Amino acid sequence: MNNVQPPKRITNLLEWVCPNYLFEGIVGDLEEQFYDDLEVMSVKRARRRYWWNTLRFIRPGILLRNNAKLNIINTIMVRNYLKTAGRNMAKRKLFSFINAFGLSIGIAFYILIYLFIMDEKSFDQFHVNKDKIYRLEEMAYDTWQNNPEEPYNYSAYLQTGLGPVLKDEVSQIKYAARFNPDNQGIVSFGDKVFTESLSYTDPDFFKMFSFPLIAGNSDGLLTDKYQVVITPEVANKYFGTQDALGKVLKIDNYGEHEYTVAGIIAQPPANSSLQFQILLSQSNRPYYDRNMENWSSFSTPTFVQLVDNADMTSFEDNLAKLVDKYMQKSLKRARERVSIPEGMTVFKYQYTPLLDMHLNTQVSWTKSSDPKYSLILGGIAILILIIACINYISLSLTTSATRKTEVGVRKAIGAQRSQLISQFALESVILAVTSMLIGLALMFVFLPAFNEFTRKEIALSFGIILQIAGLGFALAVVIGLLSGFYPAFFLSAFKPSQVLKGGFTTKMKAGFTKPLVVLQFALSAFLIISSVIMYQQMEYITTKDLGYNQEQILVVPTQMGWSEESNKAVERMRTRLSQDPDVVGVAGTSLSFNQGWSKYGYTINEEQKSAYVFAVDPYYIDVLNIEMKEGRNFDPAISSDTSAVVVNEALVADMGWENPTEEYLNWREDTVGLGAKVIGVTKDYHFLSLEHAIEPMFLSMDKKEVGYLTQMLIKFKPGSLAGSVDKMQSIWNEMSPDKPFDYTFLDQDVAKQYASHKRWMSIMGLSTLFAILISCLGLFGLAGINALNRTKEIGIRKVFGAELSNIFVLLNKEYVFLAIIAFALAAPLSWYVMQMWLEDFKYGISMSWQLFALSMAVGLFIALVTVSYHAIRTAYINPAETLKYE
Amino acid sequence: MNKTYLGELEELILTMVGILKEEAYGNAIVQEVQSQLERKLNLSGVHVTLYRLEDKGLVKSHMGGATNERGGRRKRYFELTSAGISVLHSLQEQRLKLWNLMPELKMAGL
Repeated sequence: MNNVQPPKRITNLLEWVCPNYLFEGIVGDLEEQFYDDLEVMSVKRARRRYWWNTLRFIRPGILLRNNAKLNIINTIMVRNYLKTAGRNMAKRKLFSFINAFGLSIGIAFYILIYLFIMDEKSFDQFHVNKDKIYRLEEMAYDTWQNNPEEPYNYSAYLQTGLGPVLKDEVSQIKYAARFNPDNQGIVSFGDKVFTESLSYTDPDFFKMFSFPLIAGNSDGLLTDKYQVVITPEVANKYFGTQDALGKVLKIDNYGEHEYTVAGIIAQPPANSSLQFQILLSQSNRPYYDRNMENWSSFSTPTFVQLVDNADMTSFEDNLAKLVDKYMQKSLKRARERVSIPEGMTVFKYQYTPLLDMHLNTQVSWTKSSDPKYSLILGGIAILILIIACINYISLSLTTSATRKTEVGVRKAIGAQRSQLISQFALESVILAVTSMLIGLALMFVFLPAFNEFTRKEIALSFGIILQIAGLGFALAVVIGLLSGFYPAFFLSAFKPSQVLKGGFTTKMKAGFTKPLVVLQFALSAFLIISSVIMYQQMEYITTKDLGYNQEQILVVPTQMGWSEESNKAVERMRTRLSQDPDVVGVAGTSLSFNQGWSKYGYTINEEQKSAYVFAVDPYYIDVLNIEMKEGRNFDPAISSDTSAVVVNEALVADMGWENPTEEYLNWREDTVGLGAKVIGVTKDYHFLSLEHAIEPMFLSMDKKEVGYLTQMLIKFKPGSLAGSVDKMQSIWNEMSPDKPFDYTFLDQDVAKQYASHKRWMSIMGLSTLFAILISCLGLFGLAGINALNRTKEIGIRKVFGAELSNIFVLLNKEYVFLAIIAFALAAPLSWYVMQMWLEDFKYGISMSWQLFALSMAVGLFIALVTVSYHAIRTAYINPAETLKYE
Repeated sequence: MNKTYLGELEELILTMVGILKEEAYGNAIVQEVQSQLERKLNLSGVHVTLYRLEDKGLVKSHMGGATNERGGRRKRYFELTSAGISVLHSLQEQRLKLWNLMPELKMAGL
């Protein structure tokens, strides 16, 4: 039996953790048991038991005996350490506060960004079937742009007829639901009339997605065309406390109908890509039947849930078969019409998993975001945190010099170096934990503003608070230990004999902080420059002359749908307001600014062209003060004007016309006639946001081909806009009491186009503030170390007659130098990044050297103010104080 | 003087040290408990308890001579200290006293 040995490795592990004096007795017992076991069981089992029994010895009762003696001393000393730490902090209240505060800001910022990223990642995670749900998409050859780099268009909008055939023809699909969010409609119940956002979907929607149904039966929901499913918020708005189920709502979406409330569904959470308030059956969509037949009209996002363990290859094959079956004809036509390179796929269905939808940048969606934002923010957060830690170290060092004597005394009465290190590390951790608490408080304070900047709705649930507290605590301990380490080693290395004799000076080697100060200043400089440029650009955009007048104009939808009625409503309003002295004019258009656009493509002289088009009335150009360059405006008295067009300069240039008013624009590719007569040319104005160049555009009164006037633009005299809303409300109620009165101000609509840029500007502004604060703290620390190191030198200089100003310059010139290096690093980087940002705007400011100079001056000023505290303090010290020991 | 309180396992093992006298070491206690009470104890638990009793001053330990069996390793033998003996005594007394105070015990349902 002796040739069988117990497992070696686990014994070694035990030897490593077990106190030496106990080891022999323990292992002896273990081995005895092992040999006893061998008598009654297999070798394998005995070894396993030995292994397990040995492992059981790794427990606190054994481990803690390892340094039991040390433990006793430590528990006695810890109280003393805590007391000393408290006294030290109290002695230098300002310094301790600054030190803790810098770290607090870092932690607060870090946690905010952490919340942001967690929220981004949490999108759509709440669906039970999340791993089996996909969004179908099209990948289609872009016949308009002819961009060789990206020849394809990607879109989530598919044929309306696709949804119903999917389940029959693709065996991998279990459920399919079309989902069209954000359609406007007028909803009424009794005297409550509001414009609401309608979403159209299919019965499978309720089986696929996990939005809890509060009332109603999920089976067969929306199978009846005139059923409606609403959120509790909507139910409350229309029915108050009454039971909404079974009530009848009137909904007007291009035709009014009565709908029975068949279910109440929970409001989608903020981190859901699918948002809705009112769900209707797809069959209620305008032109539904026509779209069902038309396989070249793309208007319907479609989601599918696959069967368990679906074979993705055959799924893709089946999708390809659908293209062959339903789209062959139109694709062939497309190939003939435009020259598509041979071998190029013209059209293909692809898909994106539901969970990847939110961060998908290829296919746009109403509520998606770019993962690069998370990356940038995460990067900034980590940088700020690192800088905060570095500052923390250098600030700790500046204060530590005053504790030399304490170290000396402690060492003299027998403190070991390891004890001193743990003392200072403990102090550091205490301060770090304090900072964490302040940081958490700061985070609570900043969260509402942060939510507003990022347009998120991050709420702090108990679970999240716990998570944050855990994260914050872990951060604090790690930071405390890491940054306490260097000062601890530095301090504990003092020789007591030298320290206690007095007159002992030591130069703190804080050389490593210099590059770090340059780094943090470069970051601040980068953020300062970027913020200044962003601010200037936004200023430029909001004040730029757009070529039309956006002031004093109220935008009111006619609420009459896509019909002749809308045009009549505009006319009625014009007549009604014609006597009003405050009203300058009333105009109608199909789309007001920032409401979207429509674009037509046409071939003229075998050349593909396209132009934006807006339906207007003869008052449009006047109300908006659009300047005419040539020709005339539409005239209500000339009936042929209904088929004429007014074009912009860009279109004239595009067509290469010499005398535009003698030309015809054959945009409908009419083979018989000449097309629409051009009666006038407007000066270019920005009908789209300044992110776009002014492209060819024409205005038309052609109701049938271009559209109806669904929006009224009502212009008021200066100073009378304030009371106008109330007045309009009462006029509206008297004219069309059954329709809701919605309105916006044109200048606000225009400003909204830049909302996301504004938000980024705010985020950058916030980051800049944080970064400046933190780097100032760092600089403050460095300046402190430096001033301390040169106390004697300055004393000697003063004795020899140096002026205050000389010393001030002496101490500060170094920082000016550092700041200049930092700027030299930051300027090209921010130039590059801002260049990319400005590329989003076709109309941007140019970055001048003045901008950079201004930013640099601001940065330098801040730096100088920061370091001057130490410089002045040091310069004022009486040399007798500093030199008396020599 | 502080009164010493013992946990159930501590009490059992203290008693075992008394029973086994010169032969009281970890593995022997495990085996003795197994044979007397048919109760399985884990070796590590026994060791830790023994060390704790030692901390409390109820037992003391010494290393035995070298052996041929267990890989040549010595055994750590435990014996009762006088404090340990007096604790065992007082435990026994307390129990008896309480037992005598008990009214006649009847099994439920009989």
